[in-house]
Amino acid sequence: MNPLIADLAFSRPGFDLRLAIRTPATGITALIGPSGGGKTTLLRLLAGLERPQAGHIRHGERIWFDSARRIDLAPGRRRLGFLFQQAALFPHLSVAGNIAYGLPSGADREREVARWLARLQLAGFAARRPDSLSGGQRQRVALARALAPRPSVLLLDEPFSAVDPDLRQSLRLAFLELMLEQPTPTLLVTHDLDDVRQLADWVGVVIDGGLRQFGPMAEVFARPVDAEVARILGWPNLLQVDHWEGDVAHGGWGWVRVAARPEGPRAEVIAIRPDGLRLGDALGLEIEITRVIALADDRTLLGRLPDHTAIQIRLDSRTPTPRPGSRTRLGIPHAAIIPLPGRATDAAATHCNPCSL
Amino acid sequence: MTPWLDCSPAALLLSLHVAGVVLVLFLVAGIALGYALSRPIPLRGLLDALVSVPLVFPPIAIGFFLLMLFGRHGAIGGPLHDWLGWELVFSFPALVLAAFIAGLPLVVKPIQSAIEGSARELIEVSYTLGKGRLATLFLVVIPVIRRHIAAGLILGVGRSFGEVGITLMLGGNILGSTETLSLAIYNQVLDGDFECATRLSLLLGLVSLTLFFWLGRLGRGR
Repeated sequence: MNPLIADLAFSRPGFDLRLAIRTPATGITALIGPSGGGKTTLLRLLAGLERPQAGHIRHGERIWFDSARRIDLAPGRRRLGFLFQQAALFPHLSVAGNIAYGLPSGADREREVARWLARLQLAGFAARRPDSLSGGQRQRVALARALAPRPSVLLLDEPFSAVDPDLRQSLRLAFLELMLEQPTPTLLVTHDLDDVRQLADWVGVVIDGGLRQFGPMAEVFARPVDAEVARILGWPNLLQVDHWEGDVAHGGWGWVRVAARPEGPRAEVIAIRPDGLRLGDALGLEIEITRVIALADDRTLLGRLPDHTAIQIRLDSRTPTPRPGSRTRLGIPHAAIIPLPGRATDAAATHCNPCSL
Repeated sequence: MTPWLDCSPAALLLSLHVAGVVLVLFLVAGIALGYALSRPIPLRGLLDALVSVPLVFPPIAIGFFLLMLFGRHGAIGGPLHDWLGWELVFSFPALVLAAFIAGLPLVVKPIQSAIEGSARELIEVSYTLGKGRLATLFLVVIPVIRRHIAAGLILGVGRSFGEVGITLMLGGNILGSTETLSLAIYNQVLDGDFECATRLSLLLGLVSLTLFFWLGRLGRGR
């Protein structure tokens, strides 16, 4: 297996993409970011469904696209599997016909189709037409169709978003099982953080046509590079900093001391993890509890700081549950704080474009 | 009372002959142009405009321009006559050309919009599964949009069958030679034979209604 390396420039009216990426040779890489940021466009460029104005795409030793050398392999010659958001099954073909579509004709074809039908628990559906299948079954067929020709790279464009939430989990598990049996380097575009947490080994954050951050999943979630990335990755507490006094950040919400103020003038936001915060700390921030969300052993508080900034706190098992409407103070340990560039609420953050990996 | 078949039987046969030939031409050119216009090809806007012209331009004017173009001294008709000794105007091929130009947009447009709509993603899936453009056309596009193709063909042939303006100019309305069913009605009215004109009009209307009924059945079967 080989890494997929791309450095691309692509423009259409109102949108520019300038992006360099090197995906790992194995595992699943999730691409996440706001709508219209370029995630799907990147997949389509890699697949050869759209043509970049400049740049190159290389998979191992094979050059898929090189504008300087006028190389542009047709999608079918790139040996990739592409799974669309809607399953996009051929309506005039049976389930078996759909799975067989990308397979070479020959004696093994039927055997291979039967194997895929069994693998995805579709054995009784071989002769059925796509319009008689449920959303989950359709997506399983589409997955089998994409994987059956044994692609060298798999590209998934929000593959589970059109499926009912209760079916998503079983589809994710089915996909992970397939990846264990037939490991294929995969690029997964998604808006669903559960997809990222449960499936991805690596994460790339695509914003405004550029790759803002890329790295191992746990590292990216733990260390977002700016406030916008933190917001996309689901960090709930982003506090705008008005000014710094040494390692103390001040804002309308109060002040906190950070372990070390980052160098440079761009640390305008502090991101606070919801775990490990201390209620009742006499030196902490003033907070009014607005709501208590108690689900089994998990208790989450929603609160409001003096400037009405919302804050989320996950309680540990020893802390008593405060009443909604009560006021207390919130101690924030250094380890729970990350100073970040960008703005706490505005989506139009500054960014590097393209990012070097 | 004039027997039914005495009212320009040759015109009916000629119209059916023209319709049969343009049906084959529509099948090939309609699918090819619809497929081409659904993709970002060079000069797509110009080609689209040329195909669509008969929808908005007066047929008699189109016929006049074609007569100028294909006439013995025209830009295309001149060389054809001088080099090959072939004269297109006032002949059977001229009737076919007139019917083809009149009906073409009604064939191409439904096919083009079907490919741009429901078939677009399926085409891309086919490409990613290793199929080229021609294989995708036959394995995916035609089977998936076959109802749109059929609807386009019916509309196009129906329009061609009733064509007058371009046919009059390009075909010349020569009795027994280039007199189609629609022109026969026109001629019967000029001759004051309203009985035959009525019968031929009913016949033409019947053909149109049959096509309309067939189109409706295709739509319900979707």
